[in-house]
Amino acid sequence: MPLVKNGEVTANPHGEVLTLEPFLEIAAADPKDAVIVRLMPDDCPLQLEPFIEQLEVVEISFPRYADGRGYSQAQLLRRRLGYKGEIRAVGDVLRDQLLFMLRSGFDAFELGREDAAQAFAAASREYSHFYQPAADGESGVFARRHS
Amino acid sequence: MTSVRPKLKADIPKVITAWDVATGATVYQTADRNWSENIADAEVVVGEAADAALEAAQGDELRILDPYVMEVTADGEVTGRETLRETIRATGPTTHTEFHKAARGVVDA
Amino acid sequence: MYRYDEFDAQIVRERAAQFRGQVERRLSGDITEDQFKPLRLMNGVYLQLHAYMLRIAIPYGTLRGEQMRKFAHIARKYDKGYGHWTTRQNIQFNWVALKDIPDVLDELAEVEMHAIQTSGNCIRNTTSDQFAGATAEEIEDPRPWCEIIRQWSTFHPEFSFLPRKFKIAVTAAENDRAAIRVHDIGLHMRRNDAGETGFEVIVGGGQGRTPHVGVTIKPFVAKDQLLDYLEAVMRVYNRFGRRDNKYKARIKILVSETGAEEFTRLVDEEFEAQRDAEKIVLPQAEVDRITQYFAPPAFEDLPDTSDVLEAAKAKDDAFARWVRVNVRPHKQAGYGIVTISCKPIGAPPGDVTDTQMDVTADLAERYSLDEIRITHEQNMVLPHVKLDDLFDLYQELDSAGLATANYELISDIICCPGLDYCNLANARSIPVAQDLQNTFADLERQDDIGELKIKISGCINACGHHHVGHIGILGVDRKGEEFYQITFGGRADEKAAIGQIAGPGLRAEDVPSALERVIETYREVRSSKDERFIDALERVGHDPFKEALYAAG
Ligand code: HEM
Ligand code: SF4
Repeated sequence: MPLVKNGEVTANPHGEVLTLEPFLEIAAADPKDAVIVRLMPDDCPLQLEPFIEQLEVVEISFPRYADGRGYSQAQLLRRRLGYKGEIRAVGDVLRDQLLFMLRSGFDAFELGREDAAQAFAAASREYSHFYQPAADGESGVFARRHS
Repeated sequence: MTSVRPKLKADIPKVITAWDVATGATVYQTADRNWSENIADAEVVVGEAADAALEAAQGDELRILDPYVMEVTADGEVTGRETLRETIRATGPTTHTEFHKAARGVVDA
Repeated sequence: MYRYDEFDAQIVRERAAQFRGQVERRLSGDITEDQFKPLRLMNGVYLQLHAYMLRIAIPYGTLRGEQMRKFAHIARKYDKGYGHWTTRQNIQFNWVALKDIPDVLDELAEVEMHAIQTSGNCIRNTTSDQFAGATAEEIEDPRPWCEIIRQWSTFHPEFSFLPRKFKIAVTAAENDRAAIRVHDIGLHMRRNDAGETGFEVIVGGGQGRTPHVGVTIKPFVAKDQLLDYLEAVMRVYNRFGRRDNKYKARIKILVSETGAEEFTRLVDEEFEAQRDAEKIVLPQAEVDRITQYFAPPAFEDLPDTSDVLEAAKAKDDAFARWVRVNVRPHKQAGYGIVTISCKPIGAPPGDVTDTQMDVTADLAERYSLDEIRITHEQNMVLPHVKLDDLFDLYQELDSAGLATANYELISDIICCPGLDYCNLANARSIPVAQDLQNTFADLERQDDIGELKIKISGCINACGHHHVGHIGILGVDRKGEEFYQITFGGRADEKAAIGQIAGPGLRAEDVPSALERVIETYREVRSSKDERFIDALERVGHDPFKEALYAAG
């Protein structure tokens, strides 16, 4: 499936990605290999805290687009744990959710459509301002009005 | 959120109804697989013909949305458990009769 | 009242453009109905029985003449000449074509209005006391905080795909006119021992299939912590709210299943865990900027009483009655708060015509410092009217069919659209309301009965607030026939309570006579004319009223 990162379609280099439980087992045994993990909606992102420096990719899974727990998981990774690596949205990822995802700290998207790059470009340009500060580093309109 | 409509037995006469995508108007499937706001134009279907008609409607996403089967008499009159709902859909709200399809010339008064 | 700056204006314009693109993609077949539905549902576009329905937000129920006039224009040009006030201070248009909605949104953006988050599983329009900024009962005007919440919640990236819809209401008056205890979050402005104002936070109220009265989880949250505290509540809800069953997904179920104490602990824990990087930056200058829009308007220095008013009252009994029933005290001497009833006898409750909207816009500009409010009880309010002007205003309202003297009386019925319009309905509700209004049409008699709140819903979703009606009426379907279940004792105010079902449902034609018997019973048992129905019910219990309800042959 096409992976969009930094606005461009790139190859998806990773094979099988471990879900949280097997990841935690392997990471406990050999932390060096703990670089990629997949969170399901029920998983707690804070359990990744010990590995936050070495993690390269956290996949956050959306089995149904309407299940919005992934947005909280991403915000917590970025803003509470200070995670700097890639957060990748996988599963039921729709064009009209991309902006919410970008703002919540996602920076890579598995988009099940041929025109993924164009769709991403169009979706990410739809708004010039946002009210709230969020994980995308935007300070938000409340603050911007007075800076 | 569309409400769930009651299941109808195969041998009950039916009409396929839906809403026009662009306007939202209540519409009924005609024999030539077109759509009319007037229930009098609808094709009455039974048994497998009804399943085929519904399937055709479900593939007609560009023109209509949320198609379903409603119960009618053999002559195409609204009947059955949802008579009140379907009569209101076919004619208009029971308050504000000036909104009725008849008042707009869509159906005969 | 609040005015958009370039940021607000651009966001709303961009929203209209975005929705135009989404509608184009649907009409051209680029996206399916399944993909489009959640998009239209994020913008207040529902499918009803006869057409699409567009719901437009009236933030905290406040608007000005120009905006009302725009509603009139939309009603005329895109609808059939009507608009309908809802129980969440929104307006609904019942006959708008999807292909026209992008144009409607552009027109709304011109007057600083939108349909953002008027449906969908997100934070909805923030509602408030319709007398805010005018009543002497409040500790301060809550609307600056409603506006701050509106902005904070608009396109919130984390809370736009919640388990279910989420409704916030705010009041600053002891007498709660905003039904805050039956909202997902109710905020009641309070003063602490240090004299600062902040918010009592009430969570988990709601109606629908399983009605709940909200519980206080925090007696006082300081203003500068409000948004962070709300984020903590929202995050706990997003994380733990049930997603396996639509009917158990509201926060009221989470609070009741978790227990209020444990829920409070979870919120407090989350609030404590927030790091600086997560806090919402809300500069004091920004609070001041928004608050300044709600500064009291330029009131004149007037005496407490008005000779013009007294003289007119003495001459015209109908006017005197209207003043007594529909005009409430203002915090400013020489002014009154006027409720414009949208419940004329025999008309669908909460419906107004384009002409009535135009008239109201003009009257607001001339008599109410260009302010109008929409109430959750589906009426309009002119909040700042000089007592000297009341008679002139009354005459103009009267000729527009807007001077029914029934505010809070038995014919001031809350009523949802029901089976005449609504795709989810089980039974009609408007005709029941009309029958009751006709039965109790006599204003003398209504006046004698006193405050009595009847609320009618056409299905268990309870948009007509029947659970919190002093008398609630719920339409149900029994094998294709409409029946109406009566509840007693509900209330939406500061003593919020869920009504109790009286017994088996009644046929539509039996409802008016059954309620006549209930009202007769009330008149017999009340200790004096001042004891309201709801108070008499509380004192003597439900039994005599149930008996009366079913006393027919
Ligand atoms: C979307 C889902 C979830 C979110 C957003 C979430 C969020 C959080 C947050 C904000 C905290 C910090 C609270 C504090 O420090 O006081 C936390 C702690 C914790 N959560 Fe989750 N959680 C989620 C799911 C889960 C699940 C499913 C589990 C268990 C299987 C879990 C187990 C825990 C544990 C054990 C802690 C304490 C961690 C610690 O002290 O370091 N969480 N979670
Ligand atoms: S209460 Fe039911 S019938 Fe009435 S508007 Fe709501 S969903 Fe429709």
